Amino acid sequence: MKEASHGIGMEATWGGGGSPFAVSWRKLMMWFFIVGDALLFAGFLAAYGFARLASPQWPLRTEIFHLTFIAAMTFVLISSSATMATAVAAAQRGNRKDLLTFLLLTILGGLIFLGMQAYEWTSLIRQGARLSGNPWGVPDFSAYFFVITGFHGSHVLSGVIILSILALRTARGRSRAESPELAGLYWHFIDLVWVFIFTLFYLI
Amino acid sequence: MVGYKSYWYTWGALLILTLGMIEVGSAAIPGGVIAFLLILAMLTKATLIGSNFMHLRFEKLALILTVVIGILFTALALFLGIAPDGIRILSLGRH
Repeated sequence: MKEASHGIGMEATWGGGGSPFAVSWRKLMMWFFIVGDALLFAGFLAAYGFARLASPQWPLRTEIFHLTFIAAMTFVLISSSATMATAVAAAQRGNRKDLLTFLLLTILGGLIFLGMQAYEWTSLIRQGARLSGNPWGVPDFSAYFFVITGFHGSHVLSGVIILSILALRTARGRSRAESPELAGLYWHFIDLVWVFIFTLFYLI
Repeated sequence: MVGYKSYWYTWGALLILTLGMIEVGSAAIPGGVIAFLLILAMLTKATLIGSNFMHLRFEKLALILTVVIGILFTALALFLGIAPDGIRILSLGRH
């Protein structure tokens, strides 16, 4: 009786009983990690915005980046997000074959994106771009470019590793039921961050 | 349970928005209008990914508000906190 009244009290306080978010602790921790990581990228992009506003000149993006190539990178990442979402849906239906197929497609998308990013970096480095300076006269430009896209790329690499482990475990029938959804949240977050980088760095 | 198709509709919408953004980015219209349209499209894409791919629209309001307000408010505070200083430094350099 005492426990019951305690439960009612909690519900009145939280509006959600003992579990205000109604998700497992694993999923809640993944969301908290995503919020924290998003703030890290928000910090980077805010600092980049500050540098651009405070700089009297900024290199012309069309002279440095091949926008068609960047659009192709975006296409690959968006497509990998769609395959990841399909993999999660397959996991929820208990369809292990589809789950594995779409997981492998997502990994392939991640690897292609990383390859394209490596090509883009190599191209800029060959033109003389470094963390500390570049031929376009605004050292901040390449510093922000390498730090922000490098940090994002390291997230893609982590995602590919996580998905590869998940695919291996799925193939052996040893993955947890919730794992594809958690890995999916992380992968979509990587895509989400790219949406902001693509707009703020390559288009504006 | 969400069908596979809905994800591919979202994928199509994201693709169309991306192509539209590339067009707008190189259009012969004032820079302010370009920036406004691009940011609007960027936020629309972020909403599509968050709600459809990350399934936020199926979560409880408490989780949605924690995630969305937490990120948007802090990001906005970060930018609005330092952007005026950036503009001030730029104007100091011109004098």
